[in-house]
Amino acid sequence: MTAELLAGIRVVEMTEVWAGPMAGSFLGDLGADVIKVESFPRNSMTRPLVAGLGAGEGEGPPYERSGIHHLSNRNKRNLTLNVRCESGAEALHRLLASADVFFEGYSAGTVERIGFGWDVLRARHPRLSYIAMPGWGAEGPYRGYVTLGSGLDSASGHTAVRGYPDRPMEDTPPIYHSDATGALTLVFAAITALLRREQTGEGSSVDLSQIEAMTWQLPGLFAEWTMNRRLPERLGNRDPHIVPHGCYRAAGGEAGPDDSWVVLAAEDDRQWAALASAAGNPEWAADGHPWATVPGRLGARDAIDGALREFAQSDTAEAIAERVQAAGAIAAPVIAPWSVLSDPQHAARQWLQTVEHPHAGVKVFAGFPWRIAPDASSWDRTCGLVGEHNAEVLGELGYSGPEIAALRQEGVIGEAYGEG
Amino acid sequence: MEQPLAGIRAIEVGGTLAAAAATKTVSDFGADVVKVEPPGGASMRRLPPFPDDAPGLERGAFHVALDTGKRSVVLDVETPSGREVLARLGATADLVVLDAPPEAAERLLTALERCEPAPNTVVLTPHGLEEPLSGRVEDDLSLFAASSRMRHHSITGEEPLRYAPQAATVQWGATAAAAGIAAVWGRRQDGRARRIEVAGVDALLGNVDTWFLIWQFVGAEMPRQGGQSKLAYPAGGYRCADGYVTFAASNEPFFSRLCGGIGHPELTADPRFASPLVKAEHWADFMTYLGPWLESRTRDEVFTTLQAHGVMVAPILDVSEVVQDRQALARGSFVEVGTPEGGTATVAGPPFRLPEAWEARAAPRLGEHTVEVMDALGYSRSEQVALFRAGATG
Repeated sequence: MTAELLAGIRVVEMTEVWAGPMAGSFLGDLGADVIKVESFPRNSMTRPLVAGLGAGEGEGPPYERSGIHHLSNRNKRNLTLNVRCESGAEALHRLLASADVFFEGYSAGTVERIGFGWDVLRARHPRLSYIAMPGWGAEGPYRGYVTLGSGLDSASGHTAVRGYPDRPMEDTPPIYHSDATGALTLVFAAITALLRREQTGEGSSVDLSQIEAMTWQLPGLFAEWTMNRRLPERLGNRDPHIVPHGCYRAAGGEAGPDDSWVVLAAEDDRQWAALASAAGNPEWAADGHPWATVPGRLGARDAIDGALREFAQSDTAEAIAERVQAAGAIAAPVIAPWSVLSDPQHAARQWLQTVEHPHAGVKVFAGFPWRIAPDASSWDRTCGLVGEHNAEVLGELGYSGPEIAALRQEGVIGEAYGEG
Repeated sequence: MEQPLAGIRAIEVGGTLAAAAATKTVSDFGADVVKVEPPGGASMRRLPPFPDDAPGLERGAFHVALDTGKRSVVLDVETPSGREVLARLGATADLVVLDAPPEAAERLLTALERCEPAPNTVVLTPHGLEEPLSGRVEDDLSLFAASSRMRHHSITGEEPLRYAPQAATVQWGATAAAAGIAAVWGRRQDGRARRIEVAGVDALLGNVDTWFLIWQFVGAEMPRQGGQSKLAYPAGGYRCADGYVTFAASNEPFFSRLCGGIGHPELTADPRFASPLVKAEHWADFMTYLGPWLESRTRDEVFTTLQAHGVMVAPILDVSEVVQDRQALARGSFVEVGTPEGGTATVAGPPFRLPEAWEARAAPRLGEHTVEVMDALGYSRSEQVALFRAGATG
């Protein structure tokens, strides 16, 4: 059974890379009819034209086999459209006339320049809501700027605190956290716009800045400055007020003989007693021991970390975590990608999704971020092929077979990239 | 105009950070959020930092920023009396978000699903309600490790790192918010209440910024060589005159735009940099052009000059710079909000903008609204005194 939370809602997505496409998939997972309008004839950024740029093994064009692209493009239909030409723009308008929500992730001003600004949209489609989700938002001095999630992470203050405490900034890995938070925010924004339409009868325009969508999620970081005029430090895995709280090298494990790690933490005396007992040293938590109290542990951080490094070296990451968790303290192995496949919890909950794709073959995907009952999300559509639903969607919009063929002939739509 | 979520009621149970994060946006867009706290107060009230490092249940940064506009009711839902109050409250709600260990969560769900009408429920647990891992206790660090995202945030062979403290947990809460508001919409359309489980590991692994699927497609783990890729460049952090910028300009059209932006358009056609495979051997050569250009310019000059050429580049800022950033100032990305102690604090503004839709109001004091909510539920003052004296309310 497919989730029906958003049944009857049609969403048009015109986005690339991760934040927008993932949002489109989430809306599809929740039951909306999501139509992805994909760039044509230019290939999407996540669809490489040549093998070797992240494309997996398999048959057919490399751009149908990109893991980066597959990750965020399930549960939607795919329409390629050159919206920069008149007949393509008209097709998009006909699509939008049938839609409740239209969202796009291009740099601010782009869709306006091609004739899809809010003034045009609200005049032609009064019940349509429009969400722009550029990196820095639709308005402001950075209007028109371009970025990926790694740039937003940098401009948000997050990159400055993430790296190794003892290494230069050049060694801090780029991350794309804002894509994850941006996708979730888009889902919330779309439903908020629907609720607003219930009040007013009209669609609305939403300005979603991906950097702002992430910033509110880091209140502790900002409060160091706004509350206490301190710059947050690079802490690594350390917590200034919790000892122990760290990541320790284990004696091998599923992540490999030289790169297996286990995190251990004890937030209070009870968890500390559990950890001490799992480590075979219950006396660490006995009354009178210098490590038995919170202030005592705070003052003995290096010694405790040393003792736990030794403990972690006594077994695999998985075995250490198992033992500490059984005693009642916080512990987890640092999971490598291949361990996701053998994770007993994912198996017990049947969470992973095995999906067959005509070009990418059989792949196991991470499951849905939520489990809904009674109408559960289901993987109804795997990642769409380029233009896979052109005829279907255009047919629903009233285009005849010959008209669709003419659009294809003119290069307004297409089912392949990089030709002609 | 009314706020878009006006008339919606959400109940938050459990007092954890994930639960508070789940209802924050719901509250700020106009819903009535009742924060049900255990007698000792929500655990997330204890999260630092605190003003002047003086701790207190009303002063923590997470409470001040994430409990905005909520009403606080103290209720011991571990007791039958407390659960009965919760059930009456649940019957008035569109959405109940609860975070509790599996057994306690099942008890609460049973009570809530008997409500007439039954609300949507969102249950937060680290691993779900099933064995074998449902009994595990996790925190922000271990959840991140278990999700596989921590592994990628490292240099091969070195200690994997978490993100900023609590970033993973708040993302988990935001996942519950998205599913929860969808359920609210769904129930308004078809009258059906949903039960939604949001496991922390699922929320973190079942989104982007993850590399499990990429590993399958590529057949190998993505390189973990730190910030700068010397194969596909420029990407990652690069030093300039007064700090660092982050590039994402290794692919076309961005690489060509960058070459033009630094005054070397001819590099686009240079055989050393022409194809991804050849380019991987000439990072040092490329730096003879890019390095001096960056070192003679500030982050802001690099940022504005190259953005004018359409290059994906951004400055690496610290939080003091972020709150003064001209884009943030122009948009009002940070706002003043009242605090439970009667002062004000600076917090992040709306996650998205819709006219007359978002407002952050002061977070509540512990138990500030217990009597008000109990009155509205129809408990007599005599019953309220009895429940209070028994420790079921506070």
